Amino acid sequence: MKKFSELSNRLEIAKKKANKNSFTNNKKSSSALGTALKLGTEMVAAVFVGSIIGFILDNWFDSKPWLTVIFFFVGAVAGISNVVRSAKLMQENNDQEKLRK
Amino acid sequence: MSTNPMHQFNVYRIGPEISLGRVDISFTNASLFMIISALTIISVLFVGTRRKAIVPTKIQLLTELSYTLVSKMISDTAGSKAKPYFPFIFSLFIFVLFCNMLGMLPYSFTVTSHIIVTFTLAAVIFIGVTIIGFVNHGTGYLKLFIPSGVPLFLLPLIVIIEIISYLSRPVSLSVRLFANMMAGHTMLKVFGGFVVSLGILGGLLPLSFTVALTGLEILIAFLQAYVFAILTCIYLNDALNLKH
Repeated sequence: MKKFSELSNRLEIAKKKANKNSFTNNKKSSSALGTALKLGTEMVAAVFVGSIIGFILDNWFDSKPWLTVIFFFVGAVAGISNVVRSAKLMQENNDQEKLRK
Repeated sequence: MSTNPMHQFNVYRIGPEISLGRVDISFTNASLFMIISALTIISVLFVGTRRKAIVPTKIQLLTELSYTLVSKMISDTAGSKAKPYFPFIFSLFIFVLFCNMLGMLPYSFTVTSHIIVTFTLAAVIFIGVTIIGFVNHGTGYLKLFIPSGVPLFLLPLIVIIEIISYLSRPVSLSVRLFANMMAGHTMLKVFGGFVVSLGILGGLLPLSFTVALTGLEILIAFLQAYVFAILTCIYLNDALNLKH
């Protein structure tokens, strides 16, 4: 019985070491770069989609160019809120990771 | 070989012209490389899972690592409810990864450097996730557009903003992958062109740049596939675990 507990202890330690050494470190830095690349397009895409919606509505209501202009700014607002939201998500993930340690 | 850096993105027909009604569905080099990457994936996974040795071979290790990477990503970001969608996300990740990586080979064609390819993938994800959301929550899924604690007079504006930001998901998803791949490959080609035009002595500097950029491109090829898959998980998470 004693041998088993000893073995499980040693396994636990070995697992911790393996987790620490191998690819968690590496993966973390690469996913950080990934999220950094993410933010830029998030902003641009919302502006783009907003302007497209405005353009389509303009064609519908025959009100060129006002709705395009308005929806451009609404899209910019949506883009900023997108960026803030994903930054918050990143912050949460970061905090959780710190807590786990 | 043309010196135009955009020449590598040309899509040309291989074989006869086939059209379905008015739509041209001829076999192109893009389709060829998609088929090549699909076949590579199938053969790698087949060889990797054939002999389930306790001490794995390199190729078995590769398949097992990619399995754990994706399964961990799903359980971390979307929770246990997303487990049934593992096959889809795994195939998506592996397909994008192999398309990106095969594009790094000289004289090959990068499928993911075309917006139509990435946008189709993103649109499938977007429509699928929206359907999943409506199936799971019914009309309650529309609450996604109404954040809690917003004063009533601001609500119309907020809803419009939320709808725009929801619709911008497939655009940002596809543009990110496409722009990264296309910019990287163009840059490689431009620096490669400098090496040729500057000759042996002057070409050393751009050559070293090309080598460094190739390393960076391989990193980006992996990273963009990873980001593509992880964002799919995040969107799936919104559709499965609606929180408000």
